[in-house]
Amino acid sequence: MVQAKVPKAAPGNYNSIAAQYARAKAIKDAEEVAKLAKKAPKEKTPADDLDEWKKGRFVREWWWVAGAFMWFLFIHGSGLYFFTRGFLLTRLVLEEKSSCSEPPIALSSSFKGAGTIEGGCWHPKTFDKAVVVIIDALRYDFTIPSNDTEAFHNALPFLYETAISQPQNAFLLPFIADPPTTTLQRLKGLTTGTLPTFIDAGSNFAGTAIEEDNLLMQMKDVGKRIVHLGDDTWTALFPGYFEANISRAYDSLNVYDLHTLDNGVVEHIMPLLSPERKGEWDVMFAHFLGVDHAGHRYGPNHPAMTTKLQQMDGVLRDLVATLDDNTLLAVMGDHGMDGKGDHGGESDDEIQAALWMYSKRGIFGRTDPAYITPPATAKIRPVNQIDLVPTLALLLGLPIPFNNLGKPIEEAFAGKKGNVWGNLAAIARMTAAGIKRYQAAYYVARGLDESTIEGSPHALWATAEKAVAGNGKDKMWKEGYAAFSAFQEETLRICRELWARFDVPKMMLGVGILAASVVALVLFANWNAEDEAAVDDPELDIAESKLELESFSKGTLTSEDETSAKSFIRGALIGMMLGAASSPTIWIASGGADTFVDFGLAVGSISGIVGVFYQELRRRMEFSNPFPRTLWGWLAVIFTITQSIGFASNSYTIWEDSILLFFISTFGVATATSSLRLEKNSERALGVYHSLCFIALGWIASFSKLCREEQMPYCRSTYYASATSSTSAPWQLLIPFLLAALLPSIIKSYYASSRSYEGFAPVWIGWAFRSGLVLSAVFWTLDAADDGEWLPTLPTGLLKNIRIPIAQTVFAVSIVVGTIAFNYAPPCISVRTSATQAPTAKVTSPNATVTILGFANTHGTRYFLLLTNILLAVLMVQKPMGAGAIALMAWQILSLLEIIDLNSLASSPIGPVILALLGSFHFFKTGHQTTLSSIQWESAFIPLHTIRYPYSPLLVALNSFGAQILAAAAVPLIVLWKQKPKKKGILRSVISALAWHIAYYAVISLATTMWAGHLRRHLMLYRIFCPKFMTAAVVMLVVDVVGIVVALVGVRCNSMAIGEVFGWG
Amino acid sequence: MPLIDPVTMSAINPASQSAPAKTSSPIELLPNDLARIISQVHPVLLLSAYYLRFPSFVADPIPTLLSSLLPLAIIQAAYAALCLPATGSNAKAVKRGKLNGAKKIGDAPSANAFTLLFSFVLSLLSTPVLAGLQILFGAPITTHLPHTLLSSAHLALLTVFPLVYVHGSDGKKWREIASLHSPIDEVFGGAVGCFLGAWLGAVPIPLDWDREWQKWPVTIVTGAYAGYVLGKMVGSWLLKGRRIEFD
Repeated sequence: MVQAKVPKAAPGNYNSIAAQYARAKAIKDAEEVAKLAKKAPKEKTPADDLDEWKKGRFVREWWWVAGAFMWFLFIHGSGLYFFTRGFLLTRLVLEEKSSCSEPPIALSSSFKGAGTIEGGCWHPKTFDKAVVVIIDALRYDFTIPSNDTEAFHNALPFLYETAISQPQNAFLLPFIADPPTTTLQRLKGLTTGTLPTFIDAGSNFAGTAIEEDNLLMQMKDVGKRIVHLGDDTWTALFPGYFEANISRAYDSLNVYDLHTLDNGVVEHIMPLLSPERKGEWDVMFAHFLGVDHAGHRYGPNHPAMTTKLQQMDGVLRDLVATLDDNTLLAVMGDHGMDGKGDHGGESDDEIQAALWMYSKRGIFGRTDPAYITPPATAKIRPVNQIDLVPTLALLLGLPIPFNNLGKPIEEAFAGKKGNVWGNLAAIARMTAAGIKRYQAAYYVARGLDESTIEGSPHALWATAEKAVAGNGKDKMWKEGYAAFSAFQEETLRICRELWARFDVPKMMLGVGILAASVVALVLFANWNAEDEAAVDDPELDIAESKLELESFSKGTLTSEDETSAKSFIRGALIGMMLGAASSPTIWIASGGADTFVDFGLAVGSISGIVGVFYQELRRRMEFSNPFPRTLWGWLAVIFTITQSIGFASNSYTIWEDSILLFFISTFGVATATSSLRLEKNSERALGVYHSLCFIALGWIASFSKLCREEQMPYCRSTYYASATSSTSAPWQLLIPFLLAALLPSIIKSYYASSRSYEGFAPVWIGWAFRSGLVLSAVFWTLDAADDGEWLPTLPTGLLKNIRIPIAQTVFAVSIVVGTIAFNYAPPCISVRTSATQAPTAKVTSPNATVTILGFANTHGTRYFLLLTNILLAVLMVQKPMGAGAIALMAWQILSLLEIIDLNSLASSPIGPVILALLGSFHFFKTGHQTTLSSIQWESAFIPLHTIRYPYSPLLVALNSFGAQILAAAAVPLIVLWKQKPKKKGILRSVISALAWHIAYYAVISLATTMWAGHLRRHLMLYRIFCPKFMTAAVVMLVVDVVGIVVALVGVRCNSMAIGEVFGWG
Repeated sequence: MPLIDPVTMSAINPASQSAPAKTSSPIELLPNDLARIISQVHPVLLLSAYYLRFPSFVADPIPTLLSSLLPLAIIQAAYAALCLPATGSNAKAVKRGKLNGAKKIGDAPSANAFTLLFSFVLSLLSTPVLAGLQILFGAPITTHLPHTLLSSAHLALLTVFPLVYVHGSDGKKWREIASLHSPIDEVFGGAVGCFLGAWLGAVPIPLDWDREWQKWPVTIVTGAYAGYVLGKMVGSWLLKGRRIEFD
């Protein structure tokens, strides 16, 4: 025997532990092989050859299957890619800020107090104070006279009248919003001067607060006191900016209330404008919502709209009456409204708002006398909403925010006579320089070379610089002004193209690919589903294997494809090749409109799908009834489809967790009912017991809640100590300890029912798994002690230094050691031989009875070891409450497996679909919601001190989608549980179950994608539908990956290990 | 060497799925014209009474649910006594109810009265069970308990009461009912319809329509009544004698 030494592992270093384990394992294996070889020098029999052949067949088949699921992953990714390209608008958020003393370019002429807030930072200051009034959804045509009698026309004439009668005091212009035209996005645009997008990929997703440089930030930095009245969106965007005692925020989402907010604003604004209280503030933002709400509730053409506009007219007249010389008044709509009174999209009616500026001092001018009359339509001489930012900044003497892309509004700087070209050129130059500085910083941040960007406006900048370089003649200034304006317009055009456009054809392409993938998945799952119940007769099995052996030794045994994976892949590949061959033609025909990568991806996806469908059509000559044939099939369809339809409504999206509990309970009641039909008393009792267990566990888990804002006030968060904290309550720390005590025993009891708590199971579940749970509990206690400063005498950082290696050890056990152990673990069986003298047996040969404990559940119990590894890893990254929910889920999975087995539902889609429901349900129970703000970023730091790629994102994913990952990993168990060795067609059943499971997520993802695309003008798009779409998309991809990397690989290891011991079926 | 595990072999056997012996038959109405007429009037009466009480139900659920329990009980009792064969009564050849086993034949009126009483008692007892079921489906547990209990009482009077009246406490029969495998008739059909209706009644609750009638448990009870009437009619006519199959 070989003597080998295993070096001792360095404590706490998991690599070392793993290596030690591997070495020890290798030595043990070598010993065992040697022992076997000594004991029984094996000869190769034909049966062994047949076994080898079957193993080879399984491995080949497995590769085809893995290929098929990789193809699904590819298609899902491709569909989502195209939809996202058309739908999500992304932009990097830069952290740089403008400062008063550092203009982006040297001042062209000096003035008194330049570079200070008293004189004006980059340009002489005009006003000390400003009142900014936002009338939500004030469309341009509401403000100009019209000949018709629509309810929304001629009700707010004040703006137009003043612009005509006192052109030096007021001007009115169309004010064009950049889509998306929702209030939150608009306010970002109006204050930062940049184009808003859904994802501002900045340093912090979690809050809604604006972190970019913006007008309010600049005001605050120079010490201006800001008052806010009205829509509470402002307080979410600018927390802590407003003077606490005099600001008033009102709920913005109750669209049925037209008056509370407006009346509240009016009540508070007038006193603040009075001479006595003028000293309390410098800048005031008042945001009226009544017009918008009237539009949402009634549509624009309704008497309520007339009333509302008339009220606004009166309010503005009163405001003007109280205004002093030193205060600027700006009134604007943040967006318009469409024919139904809604907004969010990019139609003309939605983007055309109005802007009116007023000052008693009379400083406004027009460069052309004809411009005094405000434009008749919003198409004439419009200004962009972002233009407000440099305009306000320069008028108030503030620096222009760093990200600004707008240009100053001409009327505000042209002078009374409209001919101060020098001033106009100076402000245009200053603004353009700021834009140029921002662009340079943006390209650096993105890692792009600015000069490679098509249509780079460098040339325009050079022209403009040349134009103003000469002596100060008006003509020069005029040219320079025009050139700088052209530079700004071109830059804005490029940015808009990059950031803010829905691309409907791309969105449709994405949805189409996703829809086709769902059909392909269902066909795939259906084809591989086992049709007839397998006959379970040992004698028949023996006869069959004899026959097989015979034909094998004759060499006539042919390998039939067990699954449809091979023909599936072949279809996809042939399709893709044909697509690739014909792509040059299509490329030319389509005019090469898109990037080559996009085009290739589209052609590859579509032709692959066509190939798959062709292959499917060829394989099955007739299409059978597409509807489910059993009540269970119907249940699976109903659960999936009703939920998908529900996601079109914001209410059902908000209350998804309650709906999932409802479905889970429904399934439990159905199985309890069905179990009552079982003949045997014991089975009946077990079936009812497990069903009730399944319902009760789900119900208990439902007490773990993290409410989203929209669920208030009907929901109470229990996930953390209180609604305003993100730490666990002290009593919740008991949960991990309870888990360590109970969970292994619960798993043991499910093993014991089939006498499978044998072999490797006691070591792994009872010892390794439990130790991991204990360590995890210790970790969370230390974490709480650190957060709560229970031990103030300890040096800071000590607890962290202790707990991080603990977490690392748990991950080492669950992922590294666990994987190795699972790979090499023997089946959970034990062989008992009892030599008995059977009375009928011949005296010379004693009859030995061999009992294999755990035989009937060989496949399931061994695979479940893998699930315990995943479970441990997922439990480690969950907060105590979430760990409790995940443990309940694991228990529910075990009960589900028993229910499925007792009711013979292993080949029905209901099992995989219920697992998917469990995964989705416990996603919410682990303290998540389908909102960006509910992501638990801090889970990245559980086993790490700093952010480390790729581990940190993986940890956040494991925390966020732990429930779905666990569910996906458990899918093969639907088939494997209570499955004895040498069972035929296991792989086929497993991939059918996995395909059903993925199909659930694919349908949900398809539905949410469609709704997000369809509802892209909905008021709630960016609050509800878009986050739901993103969650569903990410979950689908995660499940696709887990399906391949965990479920399929796990089944392969499992089948190999069991085939090694028992032979192949 | 037969590789058989004595413990779990049986669980794998799909043959164990076969249904209980189909000996039971659907309930027939009492063979007289009065029974037939009352049976048609009964759903109309229930629905119109419900419709009349609906505004006050929405405005004030607890008092309305409570005060309408007695009228509902009277309607159900009259319907049962006049239309349905009491358990163990002479409408059936075999006495299967343990309840009436010791009763003398020919003692029908008092036996029926006793059966009615017994049905009421069991309906009352089943109310907390039904409330528990509602809570497991997601009904609030810390608040609205009287609402849930009262709605369960209505469910019990609609479903459990007639079922107990015609089937007594025969365990085998009740297993058949609980496994939804009883042959469909107007009593069983009404019960299934009632529960399905209550199940569907949960659908409008989450919607943000801000309607008064969306509050707990208005939609559930409405669904239950509508489902009961629908199930009763379908059960007595369209699907009579059929059985619900899962596979």
